[in-house]
Amino acid sequence: MTEKREHDIIESFIRFADRLIDDVDVLDLTTELTRDCARLLDVAAVGLLLADPSGVLHLLAATSEEARTLEAFQLQRDEGPCLDCFQTGEPVNVEDLRNETQRWPRFTAVAAEQGFASVHAIPLRLRDERLGALGLFGTTPGTLNDDDLKLAQGLAHVASIAIVQVTNAPERSDILAALRTAVASRALVETAKGVIAHTHGVDTQEAFNRLRDQAHQHRQHLADVARDVVSGRTSTTAPTGME
Amino acid sequence: MASDDGVQAGLTAAVVAVGGGAAADRLCACCVQLLAVDGAALSLTSGGTDYSVGVSGTGIKTITELQFTLGEGPCFDVVSSSAPVLVADLNDTHRWPAFAGAAAELGVRAIFALPITVAGFPVGVLTLCRHRPGRLTGSAVTGVFLAAELAVLPLLDVMGTDMRAALNDVGSPAWAELGSMMRSEVYQATGVLIAQLGVPPAEAMVRLRAHAFATGLSISDIAYQILDHHLYLDDDDKDRPGSER
Repeated sequence: MTEKREHDIIESFIRFADRLIDDVDVLDLTTELTRDCARLLDVAAVGLLLADPSGVLHLLAATSEEARTLEAFQLQRDEGPCLDCFQTGEPVNVEDLRNETQRWPRFTAVAAEQGFASVHAIPLRLRDERLGALGLFGTTPGTLNDDDLKLAQGLAHVASIAIVQVTNAPERSDILAALRTAVASRALVETAKGVIAHTHGVDTQEAFNRLRDQAHQHRQHLADVARDVVSGRTSTTAPTGME
Repeated sequence: MASDDGVQAGLTAAVVAVGGGAAADRLCACCVQLLAVDGAALSLTSGGTDYSVGVSGTGIKTITELQFTLGEGPCFDVVSSSAPVLVADLNDTHRWPAFAGAAAELGVRAIFALPITVAGFPVGVLTLCRHRPGRLTGSAVTGVFLAAELAVLPLLDVMGTDMRAALNDVGSPAWAELGSMMRSEVYQATGVLIAQLGVPPAEAMVRLRAHAFATGLSISDIAYQILDHHLYLDDDDKDRPGSER
């Protein structure tokens, strides 16, 4: 392991640990989890599905438009490795999607269209409670090595604890309220991406990078930055990494 | 109280077949029937004004309007936080002294207010109130959240009155329609229209939806055309198809 990678891993765990005692926001948390996984693991893109108390899954975060499309497809068509992973609570490792056309005929076709060749789905759960699933998508066939899989599971565990902390209100109505707010926040982020893309002539991926960077730099919630953009209170003009 | 499935079916039926204000009234009446509350109101709150789109009766209308007279109440908090405000007992909260007093006079003890969001942006509030204090229980818990999702449809209808006729023809399957609006590309295209036309989120969504109706294409197809710069919706032609370039 390189020193840089080790440093990044430690930093990632510390950030999630901080979340446990800090102002927790489900959308920020899931967005960071997917980004860290995409950075630290040998995968091309990462997406995350989170369940509400009725067991209905919602798409909360994705690191690329392709991963977003693939996660949304699974939800709409009720088919795919991330759904199986959520339902069983066990990881689903698919080295080569071309071998799984019978198991998920429609999913494998869309995955190929989006340029993906392998999937590793990691369950988000705490004890017996199933919270959701993390989808790790690769553009070449192959399996993740053991260290990467363990790291993914470790990050998923820490994130699960933090998510439960937010949603672990005694009343079901409070949990639903927290999740509904997170889902609305995600809609707001997508809308803000459209505003930035049009205003600055960038693609939606770059628009998202700018939103996220601005949230980090100003220590704001992603949803708050997005709300400001949509309501025109600010314009995210700075390119990635610059003010 | 009805089962989870019964609640979902009942609420869904309320907004199908009729559009706009009629659907809003029916949805509110249905909330009272199915969710063990005594009053329900659906209001548009965008632009800082309150406008009741649907109510289940006169009592709840007074309660919602009261908040705007007094300048405080759960509706304000819902709009400013974009989060649901669920108050099991108004006697236990000191958040809105004037409103709580007035509500008590009208015999209201519990109040549940939920944001109606379009593209993640609050455009309205669904307010439910009850004479008896206590939290929501059983199928009413998920029911109020389902009702808040469904309420988007009549609210958008009222904003885009031109579409009401089209909607009546469709007899739209509400969940499918909501699902089609909750896709990333639709939100992103809504954002493009907000920036391009300088309109608020709800109006941008109304335009998208109207264009889908007018052309017979899915709202997702329209969204992709906008994102790929193949379609520009005009500034003024609200109900006519935009120019294809």
